[in-house]
Amino acid sequence: MNSPQAHLVDDDEAIRDALAWLLKSRNIACTTYASAEHFLDAWCDTTSGCIVLDMRMSGMSGLDCFDILVTRGSKLPVIFLTGHGDVPLAVATLKRGAFDFFEKPFNDNDLVTRVEEAMAMDAELRATHATVNAVNERLSRLTSREKQIMEQVLAGKFNKVIADELNISMRTVEVHRANLFDKMQVKTAVELANLLKLGR
Amino acid sequence: MQTLPTLPAQPSPRHLQWLLTLPKLGVVLLMIALVSLLWLLHKNEAEEQRAALIKDVLWLEQNLRFHLSGNEEQLQQLAQEMGTTGDRARLFRLRASHLLKNAPEISQLVWVDRRRQIVDALPGEQLPDQDLEGFGPTATSRALDLSWRLDKPEYSEAFFVEGKRAYIEFLVPIHAERKIIGALIAVYPLDTLLNNQVPWWFTSKYKVEIVDDNNTLYASKTNIDGDSSQLYQIPLEPPGQGLLLRITSYTSPDNTLQRLLIAAIVLLAFGVFWSLWLVRDLMKKRTLAEDALRAEHAFRAAMEDSLTVGMRARDLNGKVIYVNPAFCRMTGFTAEELVGQSPPMPYWAPEHLAETHAMHDAVLAGEAPSDGFEITFMRKDEGRFKALVYEAKLIDGNGRHTGWMASVLDITERKAAEELARQQQEQLQFTARLVTLGEMASTLAHELNQPLAAIASYNTGCLNLMRSGRAQQDELLPALEKIGVQAQRAGKIIRRVHDFVRRSEPKCAPCALDDVIDDCLGFIEADARKRHIRITAHIPELPPIPADRLMLEQVLLNLIRNGMDAMNDTPEAARELSICANANDEEIRVSVIDRGCGIAPEVRDKLFTAFFTTKPEGMGVGLSICRSIIEFHRGRLWAEEFSASPSGSGTVFLFTLPLKTP
Repeated sequence: MNSPQAHLVDDDEAIRDALAWLLKSRNIACTTYASAEHFLDAWCDTTSGCIVLDMRMSGMSGLDCFDILVTRGSKLPVIFLTGHGDVPLAVATLKRGAFDFFEKPFNDNDLVTRVEEAMAMDAELRATHATVNAVNERLSRLTSREKQIMEQVLAGKFNKVIADELNISMRTVEVHRANLFDKMQVKTAVELANLLKLGR
Repeated sequence: MQTLPTLPAQPSPRHLQWLLTLPKLGVVLLMIALVSLLWLLHKNEAEEQRAALIKDVLWLEQNLRFHLSGNEEQLQQLAQEMGTTGDRARLFRLRASHLLKNAPEISQLVWVDRRRQIVDALPGEQLPDQDLEGFGPTATSRALDLSWRLDKPEYSEAFFVEGKRAYIEFLVPIHAERKIIGALIAVYPLDTLLNNQVPWWFTSKYKVEIVDDNNTLYASKTNIDGDSSQLYQIPLEPPGQGLLLRITSYTSPDNTLQRLLIAAIVLLAFGVFWSLWLVRDLMKKRTLAEDALRAEHAFRAAMEDSLTVGMRARDLNGKVIYVNPAFCRMTGFTAEELVGQSPPMPYWAPEHLAETHAMHDAVLAGEAPSDGFEITFMRKDEGRFKALVYEAKLIDGNGRHTGWMASVLDITERKAAEELARQQQEQLQFTARLVTLGEMASTLAHELNQPLAAIASYNTGCLNLMRSGRAQQDELLPALEKIGVQAQRAGKIIRRVHDFVRRSEPKCAPCALDDVIDDCLGFIEADARKRHIRITAHIPELPPIPADRLMLEQVLLNLIRNGMDAMNDTPEAARELSICANANDEEIRVSVIDRGCGIAPEVRDKLFTAFFTTKPEGMGVGLSICRSIIEFHRGRLWAEEFSASPSGSGTVFLFTLPLKTP
């Protein structure tokens, strides 16, 4: 479940079966759900990969499902499958953050390619997400004085200047700076700036 | 065109009035002539009577005078002889008795002397008016004076004795030696005079009276009573003295008869006049009746001419006796060509001759269907037309059955119109199906997209496997089989759409209602799913019904879709549409029950009216077509409120279908 895979939500059994077969032919793992409710039940924070969601279903519609996922904070890319004539609706979903949409009948390999891209994006996102989490975790361990020093460092000021501005001794600045670099697991100020660019 | 006798031309009212006045004038003139004739007769008769009267009177007067003159002479002779003879007493006695015997009208002969003393008298010795002497000179004395003075015989005035009898006296002076020595007096009682001198036949005709100037009656004689008609009087000379002889004639019994005759004539004349009056009244009434008849005739003619229904009358033998203009227009023959014709009629179509003849015979036998029959007739130009004929008995004024009257309707156009209406109805139904399908197009496209998308996916998957060289037969086979299944699924959808819009003649074949409902649900399922409506069908085992499957499908689809539309605002959980069916011996009843908004009362009446709709994009033909379809199947379609609805409102549409064809 937590391994990246395509989550296929469609109330038509034939479509589910056919798409699963197709994805399998391109070596993409997938799970199928007969309704939006089923998928939402199964969803958790760690669910990864992408969602292929049918717009028109009995029970909850694809769009409602998408809205619920957004409110839950899911970042999973969503590819909508729409019927003929649903295109304006699909475009609206794109604006609300959907990954893509396909009109049935679709060019299947294009769909698979987009699924792969979506999964890749999710994976990258997840990786970045992990880095940011780590930086934030390191930042949270800094004292207020260390954070003050960090701001000054990031502004490109020398130790002496910092000591003058904060009315502390050079030495004290150096100690704080060493602790800061240690806690942030960086060796240079440039490295620190790069890390923070990612995390904040 | 008419075969009825035409009425004679009406004489002008003035002419008629003249005709009516003439007999009246004649009667009046006749009456005048009669009356004048009677008057003339009467006048003649009166004149004759008067002439006879005068003649008789003159005769009577003459007779009286003759007698009196004779008596005068005898008395004068006696007086002369008494003057010359010595023995006057004996002579007087002798002659007087002799005289009295001969002249019975003389009641007494008296001889008086110069001193007016009675010397002798026969019979008796007293003068009748002696008693009156005390009142001055009596009539006798006055007469004596006059006679002696004049020395000639003289009559006295008439006088009454004791108020009873009237008398008159004749006095003759007696001379002796040139000296008057006395007088002879003959006393005539006037009644005796009349009794003796007027003969019986005279008195049976007349009344004889002696009167004076003062109309004092002295004596009268008559044998008859009655009304007097004529009167004649002449002076009685002698004796003069103002006495008058008055004769009155009486109306004879003959006269009464005559009057009766006149009365009868007058009466008869009145009778004639009265009867003429009656005749006049009768004629007036007759004129009025004729006017009414003429008006009625004109009215009837106008009615016949304005009729578009052909009328044809036949006698009991089947001979045409009357046709109206509409019938002539219909057949193209003139009335002259048709009236008098016997079967086969010129308007009978030769190819239907036997059939027409059979119907003709049936009509004559009184067995024609009372609700009319259809038959093909031929126009003069050999064109054919369908006619609807109603036959009725022709009854004359006396209540006798004299023939048959038929009203004939040309129903060719009506038939054509019916056919056109039927075609239009079919066209409308077809259009409605197309409209339904159009409204469902997006759902159907989605529906069709599902299997197509599945097929495409299987197909691409297979290709992917084969290109990568990893393809295993047992891996590919199930996918290919699934492709086939999905293709069939798509085909089924297309077939259903095609069936639904197929244009075909309505045909009533036995069909299973559950199959029809299944088909409908197949159509509607996707749409219902999209709208989160559950459709449940409770269909028991039902006998097949004779109906057009496509039409039923159309009705059901329409009712289901209406129900679904009605539930747009119903909470999702309550959106349920159920279809129920049950059957009894005669019919199947199907209900489509929704839990929607219900039907507003003001809408309910117009629900089945064509082009009435509550939907913004609706045409308003759905329910009206549904009803016409159900009625075509001789069923009924109506709506009821779904009072037991869990959502609080809803509608039940029900229709029935008979299990048997008529």
